[in-house]
Amino acid sequence: MSTDTEPAGAVDDESFFRALVEHGSDAIISIDADSQILFANDSVERVFGYEPAELVGEPLTVVMPERFQQAHHAAIAEYVETGERTLDWNDIELPGEHKDGHEVQLSITFEEHRWDGQRVFSGIMRDVTERVERERKLERQNEQLERFAGILSHDLRDPLNTANAQVALARQADDPTEYLDELEAIHERMSDLIEDVLTLTKQGQTVGEPTEVSLSSVAADAWQTVGSPAATLHAEEVGFVEADRQRLLSLFENLFGNAVRHGGEDVTVEVGALADGFYVEDDGPGIPEADREDVFDYGFTTDADGTGFGLNIVESIADAHGWTVDVTDAESGGARFEFTGVRRRDDEAA
Amino acid sequence: MSTESAAEEGLDRDEPVVLVVDDEANVAEAYGFWLPDDYEVRTATNGEQALDAADEDVDVVLLDRHMPDLSGDDVLERLRERGLDCRVAMVTAVDPDFDIAELPFDAYLTKPVDRDEIQETVETLLELSSFGEQSRQFFAVSQKIATLESEKRASELEDNDTYQQLVARREELDADLEDAVGGMDDDDLEAAFRDL
Repeated sequence: MSTDTEPAGAVDDESFFRALVEHGSDAIISIDADSQILFANDSVERVFGYEPAELVGEPLTVVMPERFQQAHHAAIAEYVETGERTLDWNDIELPGEHKDGHEVQLSITFEEHRWDGQRVFSGIMRDVTERVERERKLERQNEQLERFAGILSHDLRDPLNTANAQVALARQADDPTEYLDELEAIHERMSDLIEDVLTLTKQGQTVGEPTEVSLSSVAADAWQTVGSPAATLHAEEVGFVEADRQRLLSLFENLFGNAVRHGGEDVTVEVGALADGFYVEDDGPGIPEADREDVFDYGFTTDADGTGFGLNIVESIADAHGWTVDVTDAESGGARFEFTGVRRRDDEAA
Repeated sequence: MSTESAAEEGLDRDEPVVLVVDDEANVAEAYGFWLPDDYEVRTATNGEQALDAADEDVDVVLLDRHMPDLSGDDVLERLRERGLDCRVAMVTAVDPDFDIAELPFDAYLTKPVDRDEIQETVETLLELSSFGEQSRQFFAVSQKIATLESEKRASELEDNDTYQQLVARREELDADLEDAVGGMDDDDLEAAFRDL
């Protein structure tokens, strides 16, 4: 290092600073004005999976997710030209890309100095992935708590009020039976609601260790619980996926329950394989285009006896596995749910 | 004033008229049962019916917010547009949000409600009819504040302009009333406000 000012303190040995930079726990990468890497310290290996020597001479974009690359070039160009910083240089949070392709959440501080007649930009980066994930999880849990508070305050208030009214009317009636029947139905509805909220709470946003499960066997188990005698399930040779079996069972139960409720007692349900997932479709009336955006929202129901939680549960189970769920038309005109981003294990199935 | 027109038509002004509006017929009917026998109770199970049943004779309206087609909020607006001088209590499972500040109701009840709440609310609102405009406004603003305070976190209230304006408005009305009341029987007013 060449510097005009004397370092403060008792240490003025250059090797001291070299060791500090090279072995410090934060990853440090320095680039020139063309974003070529001039220097990377040892910690880049822990954070990015590259050895320092692998990075020197490469463009900085190798450790950057593609969606940020353009913005980076624009920001550097802007700064070199005008001196305007497009983002804060202290403790900014941005993702980096590990050698194996996954994203690493980073807290970055930028520095600039001149060396050997050129401008050098350095990023001092700390891996904060764990903290960011904890924060996201907390955020999701908070959102869920608020939803549950909403359910308790609104969705139970209404039936409870109706129940109070039934009691008042039953007291006046010569024959209270009719009011008592209604009262019983209200209580059942409230009980369903509580059951669903509990299920949803337990599904949470995480799944247990996924194992390899047979789609047809889980589908068959779910069918036992919710299928109706006149209805038919086709779920043959759909292979194996990586999933939490209990959750997958609950996902199928909810979809099949819906199919029977909306498609009729004699509905036919089919579970089939997709390249990166599976689908569940029925030959019922289908879901109108206008409702498709809303069907996964909690409380959405077109059925007076429904709690509106079924598809909300389905979606949170899919989310927890990292799957995407889409609703579309079956060829028969019925409802079709497609789950993608699923890890299939067809080799073992063969 | 409904009491004046009722007197003109020769009706007994001691027999209050209550209009109960809820899209569940049984609920509307039950509220009716909970009110004293000598009250005239009208029921409506949707917004249109409510507007038809509302006239100069109605003293108090118990109004559900969440109804298909014409909502309780819409009905309330139209009742006020027609200049009907009746007291309106919203009776609802809808979580109150800051938008209630703009709604011209007199009282806000959150479901589930029971006999006592319905009776007390209607009695209080009937009493309120004999007070002046300022007292009624004071009461309505106090209801909104109490409703929001029961629903929202303290930190939310602190940051909310609507809530702060309501509090300021109540202080204003309170000061005006202090000046105006003078020899008037303040106890009745306080008693009425304690009930809810």
